[in-house]
Amino acid sequence: MTNKMKIGLLAVPANVLALLFTITAIFPIVWMVYTSLKTNPEFSLSLFALPSQPTLSNYENAFRVGNLSSALFSSVFNTVLTIPLIVLGSFILGYFFARYNFRGKTTIRFVLLVGMLIPIHSLLVPLFLQFKWFGMLDTRFTLIIPYVAFNLSLTTFLFQSFIRDIPTEIEEAAYIDGSTTDYALFRIIFPICLPMVSTAVILNVLHTWNELPFAFILNRSAELFTLPIWLTYFSGQYTTDYTGKIAGLVITSLPIVILYLFFSNKIMNGMSAGAVKG
Amino acid sequence: MRENLFKLRVSQVLKYLVPIYLVYAFAVILPLILSFVYSFFDDYGTSFSGWAPYSKLLQDSDFWLSFKNNMILVLICVAGQVGIAFIIASLLMSKVLKLRGIHRRAIFLPVVLAPVVTGYLWTLFYNYQFGILNWFVKLFGGDPVLWLDDPAKAIYLVSIPLVWQYVGLYLIIFLAGMQNISKEIYDAVEIDGANWRQKTMFITFPLLKNVTQVALVLCISGTMKTFDHIFVMTGGGPGRSTMVMAQYSYNNAFLMTKLGYASTVSIGMIVLSGAVVLLVSKLIGGKTDSD
Repeated sequence: MTNKMKIGLLAVPANVLALLFTITAIFPIVWMVYTSLKTNPEFSLSLFALPSQPTLSNYENAFRVGNLSSALFSSVFNTVLTIPLIVLGSFILGYFFARYNFRGKTTIRFVLLVGMLIPIHSLLVPLFLQFKWFGMLDTRFTLIIPYVAFNLSLTTFLFQSFIRDIPTEIEEAAYIDGSTTDYALFRIIFPICLPMVSTAVILNVLHTWNELPFAFILNRSAELFTLPIWLTYFSGQYTTDYTGKIAGLVITSLPIVILYLFFSNKIMNGMSAGAVKG
Repeated sequence: MRENLFKLRVSQVLKYLVPIYLVYAFAVILPLILSFVYSFFDDYGTSFSGWAPYSKLLQDSDFWLSFKNNMILVLICVAGQVGIAFIIASLLMSKVLKLRGIHRRAIFLPVVLAPVVTGYLWTLFYNYQFGILNWFVKLFGGDPVLWLDDPAKAIYLVSIPLVWQYVGLYLIIFLAGMQNISKEIYDAVEIDGANWRQKTMFITFPLLKNVTQVALVLCISGTMKTFDHIFVMTGGGPGRSTMVMAQYSYNNAFLMTKLGYASTVSIGMIVLSGAVVLLVSKLIGGKTDSD
């Protein structure tokens, strides 16, 4: 048998296997999307059939009875407020870690590393107590500080390694011309970091949007529920409304999936870089 | 010249570093210290009781059961996430494969979903009446099965969504590692007539040692803190059959209001996760470098 034929024979099972993995990965998501367009009777009649008459009634229902719009607002609100703060803070820390040598740098870098090393869930109880003592539970802004703090470490280390590769001559020239730190930071280095900024934004949108336990513990009033929390309540209340629940899953995932469709490479690179850093 | 330019001034520390660290300290460091202090308090966190909570923790069979469940999940996820990801990655690197970009994108997609969504989606698949699993069981003439309600099976069943969701992450890590291996090496051995198996065994494996270490450490530390999926799918039940450490701490704190003991459990969880991760990275050798 020639080598070419051998490769040809191998190609079929290899492609089939890869296709099987791909289908396993996306079929549940595709199924979720088209099932959300069915009615419950149709769903119970056939699990896999495409909707005969696609309907948005599940979505209308979720908005009408499920308090969905306020959850949507809370999720967007948290994300929009948190992300710029994370990016700003991480960029600044990353810059100082990359460029400056000072006493105690190792220590304060380690302190930041701790946030990545410990399982974040172990902070649930003490953070709840702290917020209770300071009367910070149950407000619009409650989740901002924890979300910023939890995501600061990883993003800082990403910025640090990005900035380290930028030649220092750029700022040296600026400083000689009398530039302030602010100017060097935000007018010179920040624009160069834009690729990293977009990665940081996307990564942190994912983290913030999907976060469950802290949103669950720190905010207990219904009008502050984020989408994941709304989902747990919605599923708990309408246990037999399967298609409604599935529509809820789609609503929670849709913004993320759309983001993924546009920026899949950025997300993949960012997450693996982030993972390797962690 | 450089020395003077990049010398940290007090004004810079106050203006840039202090505010950021204050936020971080408030939400990470202070809670961590608080958790540590509270772990020495009695169940409800009212009075200091020295080492008593820890000796209670050591004898707490529920806690050790949670740890055991975490370890079961770790084993399955290492095999499932890292193992399968490695297979897919080497498949995707082979020249015979079509549509590589699509496979890569598709398999990564579940990674971005909220764990809550994955949890509920799979709860539906395991549903007695309308679940996909029972649909197949019935198709082959079997009787529908109570999946997640069976304490003997539940811990294995909750691990499947974890594997499903995160295979893609390790796939990308492996692919990045494999792409760094220079093509010339592969070309050279191909000329010498090496087949796919030989290439994997003798080229890919040894050159991927570092990447594999990273993947393993990440997978183990990630699985040790599993919470969202379990919380949504079973809440640790039926009975305590799917209880994991994070869920056990949560239950103690927020279902039983034992805030003190929950802190002890949290510290136990930090120590055990850290120990397992350290042990494994020692065993597989090499350094875990954060830079």
